[in-house]
Amino acid sequence: MDTFLQVVANGLMLGGLFAIVAVGLTLIFGIVKVINFAHGEFLMVGMYLTFLLSTKGGMHPYLTAAAVVPALFVMGALTQRLLIQPLMAARDEHVQIFATVGLSTALINLALLIFGADIANTPTSGVREMVTLGPVRVLTGQLWVFGAAIALVVGLQAFMKSTRTGRAIRATAQNRAAARLMGIDDRFVYVLTFGLGAACVGLGSALIAPLYPASPTIGTYFVLIAFVCTVLGGLGSIPGAFFGALVIGLVDALSGFYVGSDLREAVVFGIFLLILILKPSGLFGTRMNLSHVS
Amino acid sequence: MTDTTMTQTAPAGRLSGQKLGLGALAILLVALFVTPVAMDDPFVYHIFITICIFAALSTAWNIVGGYAGQLSLGHAIFYGIGGYAGVMLTNLGITPWIGMFAGAGVAALVALVISWPCFRLHGPFFALATIAFLEVFRVLALHFRDLTGGATGLMIPLEIGWEWMVFRERLPALIIAFGMMLVCLGVAWAIRSNRLGFYLVATRERESAARAAGVRTVRVRLIAVAISAALSAMVGTFHAMYLSYIEPASMFSLQFSIQIAMFALIGGIGTVWGPLLGAVLLVPITEFARGALGAEAIGLHGFVYGVVLMLVVLFLPNGIVGLGQKLAGARRAAPGQAGAIATEAAAATAAPPAEARVPGQEVMRVEGLQKHFGGLHVTNDVGFTLREGEILGVIGPNGAGKTTVFNMISGFLPPDQGTVSVRAPDGSWQQPASPGDFAALGVGRTFQIVQPFAAMTVEENIMVGAFHRHANVSDAREAARETAHRMGLGHYLDTEAASLTIGGLKRLEVARVMAMQPRVLLLDEVMAGLNQTDVRRAVDLMLSIRDTGVSIIAIEHVMQAVMSLSDRVIVINSGQIIAQGDPQKVVRDPQVIEAYLGKEFTHA
Repeated sequence: MDTFLQVVANGLMLGGLFAIVAVGLTLIFGIVKVINFAHGEFLMVGMYLTFLLSTKGGMHPYLTAAAVVPALFVMGALTQRLLIQPLMAARDEHVQIFATVGLSTALINLALLIFGADIANTPTSGVREMVTLGPVRVLTGQLWVFGAAIALVVGLQAFMKSTRTGRAIRATAQNRAAARLMGIDDRFVYVLTFGLGAACVGLGSALIAPLYPASPTIGTYFVLIAFVCTVLGGLGSIPGAFFGALVIGLVDALSGFYVGSDLREAVVFGIFLLILILKPSGLFGTRMNLSHVS
Repeated sequence: MTDTTMTQTAPAGRLSGQKLGLGALAILLVALFVTPVAMDDPFVYHIFITICIFAALSTAWNIVGGYAGQLSLGHAIFYGIGGYAGVMLTNLGITPWIGMFAGAGVAALVALVISWPCFRLHGPFFALATIAFLEVFRVLALHFRDLTGGATGLMIPLEIGWEWMVFRERLPALIIAFGMMLVCLGVAWAIRSNRLGFYLVATRERESAARAAGVRTVRVRLIAVAISAALSAMVGTFHAMYLSYIEPASMFSLQFSIQIAMFALIGGIGTVWGPLLGAVLLVPITEFARGALGAEAIGLHGFVYGVVLMLVVLFLPNGIVGLGQKLAGARRAAPGQAGAIATEAAAATAAPPAEARVPGQEVMRVEGLQKHFGGLHVTNDVGFTLREGEILGVIGPNGAGKTTVFNMISGFLPPDQGTVSVRAPDGSWQQPASPGDFAALGVGRTFQIVQPFAAMTVEENIMVGAFHRHANVSDAREAARETAHRMGLGHYLDTEAASLTIGGLKRLEVARVMAMQPRVLLLDEVMAGLNQTDVRRAVDLMLSIRDTGVSIIAIEHVMQAVMSLSDRVIVINSGQIIAQGDPQKVVRDPQVIEAYLGKEFTHA
């Protein structure tokens, strides 16, 4: 029983980690309607930034967020402005997919050129301490990630619901033409949203770096899982992405323990395919969605 | 844009341009083979063999990703299956020449099984699903160690000779790789220049319009996927023998899948020769970077790929082939064809001879149709019959449910209740269910919102309809040209549909369905937005179509046209038929006046 609880706890902690990556992805998809295949590479860049700032600059990894989050915001905003925006009118949506795939390929290989294929360990700085919570034990860093994921989801929802900018973003997502008629600058909204989505993953990278070593291909693994979480929760839904991530974290941990650690991914992606084919609107329906995703 | 601004490419210029292109292509293909033989350097051989392999894979990918427009980022599945089938059978003492067909068979089967449920997914979702399948295959290949060797991979036994596809010299490997590339190019070319290719592109451009033209859209895509997978697997078998070692990480690799797709995009997605050009240009960069800079440059070629990919989508979205066409097109722009339509439409009344028909017999029977959209009752007990050689006008205010009825009597929407029966040419009554069934019985339709196959020329658009009667390309082309001339589109045969005016597009809708030689024609507001002259012309055209024995149901708001055309009129309001019969009587019906203008006008 204790083992089971421990596995569940591990799954939830893993889910929090997936959530913090998935939230930004679903935000970008829900508003800009672009699937950002380079999202994992944003995480990778953020983790290397944290690595550099904490090893060379001696900062606590969490404090690097103060620099990493704005840096990633700029990176996301530039991606939208320079790469996606010129392609928004393209007749063929494949073009946008290829654009982000190209960005992803370029960033992975740039990291390979600069850092090599070896992993880069960010100092743990005391966040790998084990704490006991009743029958289970988790790392303090995992708790921080989990808490940050909840705060991020609640904060983003509040921002979307109750600020003027948030309402403008939601209006643009629901009907771009009508939003423009109401005087909303849709281009600015898209740039802002892409920046926000990337900034979310920037926060994630500062929190994840002390737990996972950075490597050029770390993003590929996380982004694939993040796609699974977001589709599960209904693409475009922020709370959906969070709960989707918890489900996938649990599935990952439980299947890793009971089916075999080498088949975890097969189970996760198998579930993903079932959802995609049988219920593409996600497990939690479309009600939670920020927008009507057709 | 007006009709006068449209340009028509001179056929002579197009022909010489084609010849030039084919000449360049022949030279390129010869160079691909002769250069390494002449230089006789192992490294050069290796580069050219790799070019051939990637060109072959990318060409095979293009059948699905380009022609069919299904963006697969999991094509390494099929390549990997081919590789593993070849190596595993070789280890059992079976030659890869047999193994590659075994792999092709398995790959085609896998492709059918995984694609069928995924075809309802569009754009990025299809891409995500293919990635997920690829990951599942990689993980399973790692897991079943007994079969695949797991992460340690599989070596091929060192038996040398043609029988085993393993050689000491490089020339035989080049011959095989080159041959495989030619096979892939040949298959891709054959598909593109036959009915299947037209159907695939039409399905990619507008699925519903393709279905209305009688295309079994799921079936044609499955055929494309199976062919593409089989070709990829065969190349995979050879590549595995050439590399002499395989492992899951390299055989079922996402990066590899992306590369295959990327060559096609850079060369020109959806074109026959684009993937070849993409591979010819990019593979040498990679291999030189690898060979010349070695381990120091790890990541350099990938970085170049990524940057080139972004630049191409930004500045050359149609790839190198698109750029070439643009340059060639600019040189031979011909003057516009003002006034062409008027002269052509005058000759438009010459219609093909009709089959012998018994006039006045019922050809379609609609009974008790019901449809709800959520709480909205959009169709309430709609029933009517259509007789041969009759024009039935359907009128009613906006939102009355006319188009919903149309969708139900053409198979696009299943009714909640009620039946639609069509009399087959042999006299039996049938109840078709899908758009394909309706098309097979000779029911053709147009769409209120025009649905051109934008990337195809006017001629090719009409050919998609003509293929319904003619399996052969030259017959279909002939029929399409004849139809185009009848519809006043004769001067725009080589114009891309995307650049037609709205009037031209409406005519194209009708031309496409007419090319199917339908027995029953469903026209959804083909006159909306036309000017007076065009309306009169369209009325004449419809009468001439009717006189050939075709039965027509026309939704129309242009009252002048409805009155002069219709033998009978039915009026739909709020999903119900409120009046039907002689046009002149119907428009005086108080209920009809009320529906259109409101209660206070009924006594006016």
